[in-house]
Amino acid sequence: MAIFNDINWAAIAPLLVIQGLLILIALIDWLKGKSTNGPRSMWLIFIIFLSMIGPILYFVIGRRQE
Amino acid sequence: MQQWIILFRKEIQENIRNFKWMWVPLVFILLAAMEPVTTYYMPTILKAAGGLPEGAVFEMPMPNPAEAIMMSLAQLSSLGVLVIALISMGTIAGERKSGVSELILVKPVSYFNYITAKWASYILLLLTSLLLALLASWYYVTLFFGSLTITHILGAFLFYGLWLSLIVTISIFYNAWISSQGAIAAATIGTVILISTVTSVFGTKLSWSPANISGHIHEMLITNAVPSALYGAAGLTILCIICLLIGTIFIFQTKYASRKSE
Repeated sequence: MAIFNDINWAAIAPLLVIQGLLILIALIDWLKGKSTNGPRSMWLIFIIFLSMIGPILYFVIGRRQE
Repeated sequence: MQQWIILFRKEIQENIRNFKWMWVPLVFILLAAMEPVTTYYMPTILKAAGGLPEGAVFEMPMPNPAEAIMMSLAQLSSLGVLVIALISMGTIAGERKSGVSELILVKPVSYFNYITAKWASYILLLLTSLLLALLASWYYVTLFFGSLTITHILGAFLFYGLWLSLIVTISIFYNAWISSQGAIAAATIGTVILISTVTSVFGTKLSWSPANISGHIHEMLITNAVPSALYGAAGLTILCIICLLIGTIFIFQTKYASRKSE
């Protein structure tokens, strides 16, 4: 695939790391938290598959503040 | 002053504990830095996605550095505003519902300290995020489109920070007034859209409108000088922030006093 050579991956890497970090923070909190607003498994899918929006939604709506 | 610092620290700690200090900067960085990157690689992405006929010459104009930074700011103006509305919608309304504000205000805490400590903690969070976002965007713009000086970036940060501060203040204002969090977020976004629409309709007459700040920043990046209208818009924004804060404290006081006497 030519596209993989055209892209300067060294330059893009920080963005991928930040994206990964966002998902990781949400995942760690999801693992630690006991209950969420709405089904817990649904949030796992959101966090992992909705790239940036998923973790945001989880932190704003899904996380239950005690 | 002592009391204010305690309240301010409580707000910061709370926002660390609910991860806002982690995800808001990360999201702002992603929003701002994605723009220059996707713009730069758009021809590559289109080529890989296929669908172009053989031999089609496809020229995509590359933005200059100032335009590229403005793209990042535009992204923050749309999705960033949404994030601001979502993180601040419960700051007073949520505490009122859970009874935390009662717990705090039963002590001799002044309403002024309570409101401004909240306000300042959100301003600090958002300005930090904005600075990181602009630095990230600056890095990619320099890498792909050409150089801009740090003075440009700091100028954009200072003036754009005022616009974001105004949005936070609007949200805190609705917080004191409305009790439903969803309604607060909707009212905040609605107000920002209203200001922007009115400004774009009467653009030339309202050059001091806070919504014109990003337009003036663009001018500043191109001409290397701060246009006088930008100072005007900045002054008007600061004035709006102060008036809204006074209004917030006043409304909160009246609402709280009437609740106490019940």
